[in-house]
Amino acid sequence: MTFLQALGRKRLFFDGGTGTLLQAQGLKGGELPETWNLLHPERLIAVHRAYLEAGSDIICTNTFGANGLKFPAGGEYDLETLVRAGVQNAQKAREEAGRSEDAFVALDIGPTGRLLKPMGDLDFEDAVSLFAQVVRAGAEAGADLVLIETMSDGYEAKAAVLAAKENCDLPVVVTTVYGADGKLLTGGTVESTVALLEGLGVDALGVNCGLGPDQMAPIARDLLQYASIPVVVNPNAGLPHTESGATRFDVGPAEFAQKMAELAGEGVHVLGGCCGTTPEHIAALKNACKEISFTETTPKGRTVVSSYARAVVIGEDPVLIGERINPTGKKKFKEALRRHDIDYLLGEGFSQEEAGAQVLDVNVGLPEIDEPALLTEAVCALQAVLPLPLQIDTSDPVAMERAMRRYNGKPMVNSVSGKEESLQAVLPLVKKYGGVVVGLTLDEGGIPETAQGRLAVAKKILDRAVAEGIRPEDIVIDPLTLTISSDPQAAQITLEALRLVRRELGLRTILGVSNVSFGLPQRELVNSHFFTLAMQNGLSCAILNPLSAGMMASWRAYRALSGLDSQCGDYIAAYGGAAAAPAPAAVPAAGLSLEDAVLQGRQESAREAAKAALASGKAPLELVDGALIPALDQVGKRFEAGTLYLPQLLMSAEAAKAAFAVVQEALSGEEGEAQGTVVLATVKGDVHDIGKNIVKVLLENYRFTVIDLGKDVAPEAIVEAALRPEVRLVGLSALMTTTVVHMEETIRLLREKAPEVKVVVGGAVLTEEYAARIGADCYAKDAMATVRYAREVYGAE
Amino acid sequence: MSLTIDFPEVWRYLGYRGTAPEGAAARAIEEGARKVAQAARPRSVSTVVPVTFGEGNTLHLGPLAVESAALRKNLTGCEEAALFAATLGVEVDRLMARCSALGQVSQAAICQAAAAALIETYCDQVNDALRREADGWYLRPRFSPGYGDFSIQHQRELARTLRTAETIGLTVSESLMLLPTKSVTAVVGRSRTATPCHRQGCEACDKTDCPFRRG
Repeated sequence: MTFLQALGRKRLFFDGGTGTLLQAQGLKGGELPETWNLLHPERLIAVHRAYLEAGSDIICTNTFGANGLKFPAGGEYDLETLVRAGVQNAQKAREEAGRSEDAFVALDIGPTGRLLKPMGDLDFEDAVSLFAQVVRAGAEAGADLVLIETMSDGYEAKAAVLAAKENCDLPVVVTTVYGADGKLLTGGTVESTVALLEGLGVDALGVNCGLGPDQMAPIARDLLQYASIPVVVNPNAGLPHTESGATRFDVGPAEFAQKMAELAGEGVHVLGGCCGTTPEHIAALKNACKEISFTETTPKGRTVVSSYARAVVIGEDPVLIGERINPTGKKKFKEALRRHDIDYLLGEGFSQEEAGAQVLDVNVGLPEIDEPALLTEAVCALQAVLPLPLQIDTSDPVAMERAMRRYNGKPMVNSVSGKEESLQAVLPLVKKYGGVVVGLTLDEGGIPETAQGRLAVAKKILDRAVAEGIRPEDIVIDPLTLTISSDPQAAQITLEALRLVRRELGLRTILGVSNVSFGLPQRELVNSHFFTLAMQNGLSCAILNPLSAGMMASWRAYRALSGLDSQCGDYIAAYGGAAAAPAPAAVPAAGLSLEDAVLQGRQESAREAAKAALASGKAPLELVDGALIPALDQVGKRFEAGTLYLPQLLMSAEAAKAAFAVVQEALSGEEGEAQGTVVLATVKGDVHDIGKNIVKVLLENYRFTVIDLGKDVAPEAIVEAALRPEVRLVGLSALMTTTVVHMEETIRLLREKAPEVKVVVGGAVLTEEYAARIGADCYAKDAMATVRYAREVYGAE
Repeated sequence: MSLTIDFPEVWRYLGYRGTAPEGAAARAIEEGARKVAQAARPRSVSTVVPVTFGEGNTLHLGPLAVESAALRKNLTGCEEAALFAATLGVEVDRLMARCSALGQVSQAAICQAAAAALIETYCDQVNDALRREADGWYLRPRFSPGYGDFSIQHQRELARTLRTAETIGLTVSESLMLLPTKSVTAVVGRSRTATPCHRQGCEACDKTDCPFRRG
């Protein structure tokens, strides 16, 4: 019997902890346990045997920490040899125990111990490579399955699953660590993690470590509620505590077995233990489960997309997908894409989140740009700071794959159609990376004119997807909205197709509604009513502009009328009296001058004052030179004199920025030119960027163009930017002594390749002397000092 | 464990010296502190190891071999030490990144100051708990890699010994940064005899010209 034949058909038992057992045999605190695979194979074999004899069906190789970071190439131990020995020890034990026919060897893969970018410093693809190395060695040695365990970050788990899928054909089981609050250390929920892992096509999933059986029970129940595949539960023997210096776990075999047996009765298929559990725990557990009947897992049929943090269910309650991250018909957006302004995209994301979008569509397609690179960059930037799941929207399969690969969750994918080319390109990606795919009801023959015709295309997409191994619930059909001004029946056909798709195929549906009103006046009026009709006919999600008050009103009213808004809470929150009054902080103080608004750090007032001054006929440049800059100078002087503090300085800077945005539009070509261009970066190895961001805002206040390279930037990338003809100054930031090394390296490379460029440095550990020693032209003790130096370099003073 | 933000510390990190913020700045600081408290998921892990003193400035803390005059001085008279690590979690870093992405650098700076204060408060609480649990022992103030000549290289070994990546989600980057950024690793000495100790944290640091120095 293979592992996959057994999984889901009978209850299986994992082994328990190995650390405690190895320590009992003499493993020391600082010793790397994996080295024992070669140093003391007999002890590992004894541990595996003890578990097999206690009744474990799956034993895990002693390879939890075996990766290229802990065992680098050229080190004392060869990683592949350690992994192979780990598998061989388990196989030997299985043979000795006479369990060759019915016990399985799991290649155990633990986390890398590093945090992935952007919050950490390990690149996603580097993580995939690290895992791939272990997978190849373990699979070659003959492991029966891959167990990816103790993952506290869904993104890292995704990297490990991809490595497993791309480097072997073995079944994959993933268990993650949840806190007592039911969340991963990096913020995911049980629901979002199930969506991610099932999307990636793992064979079983569950929870291990961190908690005892008691605290794990609610998490196990959530897993059973959401998962359509077998659930694994491997708790610790209770919560750890320190007793005379040693870590101890208190839950004994009998208690452990009793609590775990309850979970087996509720449907957990695979049970075992983690830290502190022993062969006695497993033997007791197996015994306690003897009389408990086994029930097979049922498919849940839920349509779910996820981000790193949350799951969004697409079902009866219509989901809003924000459409604004899309250049179609938007001049400003196109310009932002051309100048590679990711902040502009983020701004569109934030404003839609605030307006109530639950998912964000991301489309950056323009003929002249590198869409695969930009789409991936946009997805990474958005998912770093926004908790909303994303809908990856592109017609370029290369861009689609790259973005799906880097996506931290289970995305929506927009779209596949009934065209052969599209089916062949898109469906394999959805199968591999997971996702809820939008199926457009059009094919080589165009958009069918009848509802029945669109249903037929939907059926074709469904059949092909299912043949590819995609679950029906992961397909959402778009019956397509056409314009009523050109065909009066267009809306009725769409609604009829919507009903048919739901009734005949049982699939969820999606529409981009705004097309319906093309060519008509008061489009929002038609759009919002059509939206209501579509929801009434069973629409599951809509791609729309959440900043449109009319559309949001339709949605809120529909939910309230359909019993989807408990006690009309959301409706009242949106339209009730209290919420209607704007927050006091945003009210511009009447009559405040631009100068005073900046001095007091009031953004709204500064914006209003700038508008008023322009309207009264003031020249834009006069506002800049006569009000904005003097106010900033005054704030800067007071900051340097110690009579005004950092938050006030920054609030003034933000107010000036808001005013400047108004003035900028009124400036004519030459007047609008910047004072100069400054490259800013936090150096390689350093992820602290608040200081750099402060400098950026102040430089922009003083009308410098800033090329912000971000954090953890390689010297070569800084040199490349510094070589642009307009650049005369580079600002580098480093917070730690260990990263100042890279600052020095960067300066050396700049001197060599871009000797004309000046370098200003700043950061917590730097001093005047230190800066001079590493070859900087200027040490800036704070942001104002950088501004002063920039003005000096560009001759503005 | 309930955690409150120590506002005078936040003000100090933001550069206020002996004065309290007023008006809009005070409100912005309260707002940032509230967001940090909401985003933080403080976690800690510790283990007790034997301490032995070798030649010169060397000493052993369980599996860790350390060469440091400052740590040796801090641990003089200690038979044991608690190795300790704590973090506010990655959501706090995400909050700061979000503020920056929104163009709210004032909030980013405020959140970072509030988070710096919060991790200290949290460490104080955990250390108080360690003290209460250590019946018959006297505990020294915590001493972190990076203090004096106690090299930050040891962060990596501390993290490995405590399995911080798995247990509390605390990792050490290639360039020896603790990630999530609002994290601490430290050694807390345990002695059988009381030793008066009046230097702690900020005051124990040799950087006497630091603009943020307390007092």
